[in-house]
Amino acid sequence: MSNQARTVDPGLALQRLLAVAVLLAVWQVVVFSGVLPSMTPGVVEIAAAIGSTITSAVFWASLGKTMLAALSGWLIAVAAGTGLGLLVGSLPRLDRSSSILIDFGRSFPVLALMPVVIMMLGSNTRMEIVVVALSCLWPVLVQTIYGARRQEAAVVDTVRTFRIPKLLWFRRVLLPGAMPFIATGIRISASISILVAVGVEVLSQAPGIGRQITLAQQAQHWDKAFAYLFFAGLVGWGIALLLQTAEARLLKWNRQANG
Amino acid sequence: MSLQTAHSPARRATEQLMQVRGLTMSYGSGAAENKILQDLDLDVRAGEFVSIVGPSGVGKTTLLRCLSGLLAPKAGTISVGGQQITGPHPDLAVVFQDYSRSLLPWMSTRENVAFPLQGKGMGKAERNALADRNLAAVGLAGQGDKYPWEMSGGMQQRVAIARALAYNAKVLLMDEPFASVDAQTRFDLEDLVIDLHTNLGVTVILVTHDIDEALYLADKVVVIAEKPATVVDVIETNFGEVRDQVETKADPRFAEARARILHRLRDH
Ligand SMILES: Nc1ncnc2c1ncn2[C@@H]1O[C@H](COP(=O)(O)OP(=O)(O)O)[C@@H](O)[C@H]1O
Ligand SMILES: [Mg+2]
Repeated sequence: MSNQARTVDPGLALQRLLAVAVLLAVWQVVVFSGVLPSMTPGVVEIAAAIGSTITSAVFWASLGKTMLAALSGWLIAVAAGTGLGLLVGSLPRLDRSSSILIDFGRSFPVLALMPVVIMMLGSNTRMEIVVVALSCLWPVLVQTIYGARRQEAAVVDTVRTFRIPKLLWFRRVLLPGAMPFIATGIRISASISILVAVGVEVLSQAPGIGRQITLAQQAQHWDKAFAYLFFAGLVGWGIALLLQTAEARLLKWNRQANG
Repeated sequence: MSLQTAHSPARRATEQLMQVRGLTMSYGSGAAENKILQDLDLDVRAGEFVSIVGPSGVGKTTLLRCLSGLLAPKAGTISVGGQQITGPHPDLAVVFQDYSRSLLPWMSTRENVAFPLQGKGMGKAERNALADRNLAAVGLAGQGDKYPWEMSGGMQQRVAIARALAYNAKVLLMDEPFASVDAQTRFDLEDLVIDLHTNLGVTVILVTHDIDEALYLADKVVVIAEKPATVVDVIETNFGEVRDQVETKADPRFAEARARILHRLRDH
């Protein structure tokens, strides 16, 4: 997680390349060995499918739809979870009384809510956004509450003696102080957003990558299904990387101040 | 240097500024009540430098927290400029013992100093200019863009002092402000606080367990002892306005005052 190690160690890069090569080799061996059903595509077929997918307009359109739904749901969850979490975490009485609801909510299998949401909104992008937002809300909320609870006594005294107004305290003390925790929630929920968006599309046939995977599977285009899966993974990985970099830059004070 | 205009420089301390009567404080209640302060009186004149000295655990931090309005006393009154205080007050600024934690690590030193001014509703340009001037006053000119964690303990404490000065309070309350820095830094900071007191005319109440420090800094040393703590002696020092780490401490009057305080603390 270090950002001072900008230059990649060549030995490490080689090891990582090797890990990928081993995975591909194992895949190929398993396919040849006949353990998997005969229609399972080999490495070469999947590579070819990935190549043709990149140039396909349908792919880009469905990727766009998935990303839009994931991003919208995620942003809603981040805004709501941060606001609510700061409120709950900074008000001990609200914190104590709501903890049972929050513990219940975080362990609730949100995907199981999907049929209800479909009944209310139909099998569409709006429904998908709602399910994504509900899934992403909990990590952000729980992390933010942790962050807001953890207020330094010296900071609390400082804020009191200098008579900092409530709103200013909320914005410039409570929020940044909880930010390292909030960032973790944001990162976790970003991965969840893609995961849930694709999952909802697979299950509900709402438009997007997930639907394309199901369609490819039904048409027995297994190579294509795997290519789409590959891209779904790539997107999730890219987002995680992006957020990690942003966090390292924006929360530099946190690592420096707390060793 | 025109930092603040509220105080005329090096004015003779005459006018009564802060008054404490019958201050009593305890933690817990009933059988578990732990009495810390009992019937404590204190008078501070405008522009005066008062040290409060007492052994560790006697209740110095408790006393300072009461004076700053952070703790409500069980009994007694505290007033500033004739007005009884019931909580944190704009005429009081505090420099905490735990200075490194009292600075906000996500703010630059300039923002840290300017933050209480933002709370007062001051505009950005004005409060940043004021922050820079106060940073310069504590010897940190041009360091406003640094973050607290990029600075040594001594420098962080200077930032905390600059923040309290910029707040433009009448009284600066300091709780063992130099207890956790090395000896040389400590001497530098002591001399800085003497300079600020002399040049800006700000009233200082400083709490310490170090008798030499209390004597070296103050116009008046208040000795507290016993359990629950009460004032056992008040000594007006008269080493003059200009102090020197070597000469002042070698002054026979200094040795005499130190012996008197040691006796007082031993007798209680
Ligand atoms: N918040 C608190 N709750 C209960 N007891 C406390 C609290 N703060 C301090 N004390 C007790 O009060 C006594 C005086 O503490 P303190 O004022 O910190 O002394 P000093 O600053 O002189 O070392 C100590 O015995 C300490 O254990
Ligand atoms: Mg103390």
